[in-house]
Amino acid sequence: MKERTLLVIVLVTTALLAAGFWVAANVNLMPAEASTRAALVDQLFRAMLGLAAVIFLLVEGLLLYSVLRFRRSKGDEGDAVPVHGNRALEIVWTVIPALIVVVIGSYSFRVLAASETREADPIVVNIHSRQFSWSFEYPAEGVTSTDLHLPLGRQARFLITSDDVIHSFWVPEFRVKRDATPGQIAELLVTPSRLGAYPVRCAELCGVGHASMGLSSQAVVESPEDFQSWIEKTRALSNDPVTTFNTMGCNGCHSLAAAGAKGVVGPVLDGLGQRAGSTASGQDAATYIRTSIVKPGDQIVPGFADNVMPRNFGERLKPEQLQALVDFLMAQ
Amino acid sequence: MTSHSRTHEDEFRAGRELSLDHRKLGMWLFLASEVMFFGGLIGTFLHYKATIPSPESAELDTILVGINTFVLITSSLMVVLGLDAIQRGNRRGLATFLGLTALLGAVFLGGQVYEFVSLYRHGITLTSSVFGSSFFTLTGFHGLHVLIGVVWAALTLGKVLRGAYSAQDHVGVEVFGLYWHFVDIVWIVLFTIIYLI
Amino acid sequence: MTSDAIAAKPARAWRRYLGWSTDHKVIGVQYMVTSFFFFLLGGAMAGMIRAQLLTPDSTLVSAEAYNRLTTNHGSVMLFLWILPVLAGLGNYLIPLQIGARDMAFPRLNALSFWLLVPGGLLMLASFFVGAAEAGWTAYVPLSVAGPDGQTLWAISVVLLGTSSMMGSINFVTTILTMRTAGMTFWRMPLFTWSILATSILVLTATPVLTAGLVLIAMDRLVGTLFFSVPAGGDPILWQNLFWFYSHPAVYIMVLPAMGAISEIFPVFSGKPVFGYKMIAISSLAISLLGLTVWAHHMFTSGMDPRLRVPYMISTMIIAVPTGVKIFSWLATIWGGKIRLDTPMLFALGFISMFLIGGITGVFLAAIPIDLHVHDTYFVVAHLHFVLFGGSVSGAYAALYYWYPKVTGRRLDERLGKIHFAANFIGTNLAYLPMFLAGLLGMPRRVVNYDPRFTQLNQLASLGAFLLAASVLPFLYNVIVSWVSGPKAGDNPWRAKALEWKTSSPPPAHNFDTPPVVTEGPYDYGEPVQVSLAATPAAAGD
Repeated sequence: MKERTLLVIVLVTTALLAAGFWVAANVNLMPAEASTRAALVDQLFRAMLGLAAVIFLLVEGLLLYSVLRFRRSKGDEGDAVPVHGNRALEIVWTVIPALIVVVIGSYSFRVLAASETREADPIVVNIHSRQFSWSFEYPAEGVTSTDLHLPLGRQARFLITSDDVIHSFWVPEFRVKRDATPGQIAELLVTPSRLGAYPVRCAELCGVGHASMGLSSQAVVESPEDFQSWIEKTRALSNDPVTTFNTMGCNGCHSLAAAGAKGVVGPVLDGLGQRAGSTASGQDAATYIRTSIVKPGDQIVPGFADNVMPRNFGERLKPEQLQALVDFLMAQ
Repeated sequence: MTSHSRTHEDEFRAGRELSLDHRKLGMWLFLASEVMFFGGLIGTFLHYKATIPSPESAELDTILVGINTFVLITSSLMVVLGLDAIQRGNRRGLATFLGLTALLGAVFLGGQVYEFVSLYRHGITLTSSVFGSSFFTLTGFHGLHVLIGVVWAALTLGKVLRGAYSAQDHVGVEVFGLYWHFVDIVWIVLFTIIYLI
Repeated sequence: MTSDAIAAKPARAWRRYLGWSTDHKVIGVQYMVTSFFFFLLGGAMAGMIRAQLLTPDSTLVSAEAYNRLTTNHGSVMLFLWILPVLAGLGNYLIPLQIGARDMAFPRLNALSFWLLVPGGLLMLASFFVGAAEAGWTAYVPLSVAGPDGQTLWAISVVLLGTSSMMGSINFVTTILTMRTAGMTFWRMPLFTWSILATSILVLTATPVLTAGLVLIAMDRLVGTLFFSVPAGGDPILWQNLFWFYSHPAVYIMVLPAMGAISEIFPVFSGKPVFGYKMIAISSLAISLLGLTVWAHHMFTSGMDPRLRVPYMISTMIIAVPTGVKIFSWLATIWGGKIRLDTPMLFALGFISMFLIGGITGVFLAAIPIDLHVHDTYFVVAHLHFVLFGGSVSGAYAALYYWYPKVTGRRLDERLGKIHFAANFIGTNLAYLPMFLAGLLGMPRRVVNYDPRFTQLNQLASLGAFLLAASVLPFLYNVIVSWVSGPKAGDNPWRAKALEWKTSSPPPAHNFDTPPVVTEGPYDYGEPVQVSLAATPAAAGD
């Protein structure tokens, strides 16, 4: 190979690598890092971005250079010097990408393994999803909430499922999502590393409320002390009908100003107390409301579909919760 | 310039060089896709067999269906014998064996119907459980393929009786044969995974 | 009617394309025109989607309508545009490229086109009974419970898949058994190789989707319990059946486009293709590897965590044969005598944009990154770079390249360049911002979004509207040139593959005498200057 060609190759390679390193070090396209795995993912991402920059600039550069340098001159109808192949070159551009694949693959594997290591004494949160809301149940602490609160620095072990169709639990700042599949429980390990409140998004098309699902849910990372007081506050409210209304997911389908709920799939519940007594013949208001909750199929409001509202609230609600809820709705 | 300056044979010269008849190749390719279709249904059956207990399997009549399997295998033998006959120019032999193929295929279908009805009487239906759904869908599609094969055998028989096929040209029979053997082989797999394992 | 008469009276010739014909050239055009109609339809749906997404809280379109738009936009673009247009191209070209008179099974060929009609009509009809709204991916249980249109959708896709499979049976049989004398496998054009590689995928993968669709249809129509969770049904089973086809599907959608690119680069560089054998082998490698990667769409599904790693590896490995192709193409044009006619511009655009799509595909293969960006706009950007920046650009390159052969007329170059510029700028403007939106937290298939993503969405919508406008010069060009464009002659591009050795358009039987092949299709190498005034020879070039 000619010396000049070698020099050009060395210079171009150096320039490309420099560009790649600069991109990897300086270009940040991600949101805030709020979990330990986020930091690992971002490092991997930035490394790959730098590499991508090198490859992109190389290929585009060669393409643009060729187009500019090797244009056919006007009037020249002849062929170019024929080159059918070059064994050495073809080996190089097969082997080097293969090596790059090996490197990226191993690095990714190491990040994955590090992200999913189990730590001792995680805080367990059962994440329930349904059309169209989340609820977060803390079995050890005995509370359920529509917000996800987590103590900083302690691994959270999420056990995720759905009551109806597939949803997907995603907190972008945690850099990880997991599908919520009905009939199955999926485990997800996250160790929050940054204080703050982060959006919870549904990342699997689940119906008309997909985009708005979780607008009422946040992931709040707070100090262990703040977390403890939140637990206590929530526990005190566990029979509170507004809490029940939201943690059971009523807010996903119904709107009710008193609960801050804006669901659009089912009937509006404002003013329910006034009309409940005259909706179903032979049923007083309280009976009608109670039946509507535990046996929704008995009486469908005209214009709304059957088989949408879950039929198992009778099992899921404690008697005190149900009673408090009925009383609350009577007063609307 | 004449429009067709090459004969039918010239057109498929490249195939002959590879010892491939285009009609048989077409059927092989079709059968490859059918293998994948049944593969999807078989995968479904096996997945659920492994993950959901199915007490309904106790009601399956392995002896009856085992005999039925033998019937279907025999029908494949009939196809082989028929092909052998026409290779020696024996059109009558081909007709006989095609008729037997169709007959045995029909007997197989009858046996399947009997098994289906008996399962239905035990409350095992297409919609009674996941087992019912996978069992009837898988064997149902196979049965449909057998039915198509029986009709094809009868139509081929009709052609033979009207003078078609000879020792030199019987590709149509071979193509039918490939299909029939495929249907038989699929059944052997199905019988194994549904009734024997 | 002779082909000369057709070229001379183009207005009357269009009637041939309205009825049943077993001529692969007629069928090819029928495919291409029909699928372009669906491209416009799918594009109109995209226009509505991007209009809705101009503002974060828009109520232009209801949530229900939006889900139907996104579902059918995807389904129409994949099943009724890109798959059939490439099949149509293959249909037109394969017999010509291998020196045959027609396909091996001409009537099956006609049937495979005509299946597009009920397939397309059913998908359109679904809008009247409540269109499918579970995404083109139709995940269960959502799709089992959806409106009646979902059933029509499922039947439609089964019909379209059947059409595809019939086509592939024809392609493989034709290529293996009907090559003309002297056309060994290593002298076949690379487009033909790509159709062969594609057909392997079609025959292996499509039937599995068919099986899955049958299960959904039966759950919906007859009450089977395949995907009934209370009965023990497993939603993940659908995902496996679906993606076993739908991943290879993307290679089905790109390999023929890459084949076209491989044809165009040598012609417009005046040089043989670099690394012909490796490009052919890479097509087969991509095809076979493509069957092993499908679960990379399921990394977040809760599948066994250990099983994810082999899929990451197999997915990343596909980058190697893809890279071989890209580098071979670059080496083809390097040192060439490049002509920047429209087909070449689209081919160069293809490399640039497919590169972005391909690189971001490797990002997606890395499981830790995928766990963050799966089901976000990062994926939407990736898929549009490979499918729009890639396949559609490749399809355009092919259409501009072979238009003279099909019609006997030349397309207007200036309009072609305007089309290219608008297409290139529009594609990048539409989809680059989406990468960022996904990384920052915007999920896909959302009718409204967090206001922080507003600017990115507005840029994307602007790009989309530019893309919509870019189709106009193309349509005008195609229609007007067919009627009154300059005559093309047999070989306007000075190409060397067999289709250019017959008239434009070819006679009904393709070649007056069956050609005998003595060299490969890219045998450039005469550096001698030929004056501009000399017209290329009509035959024996």
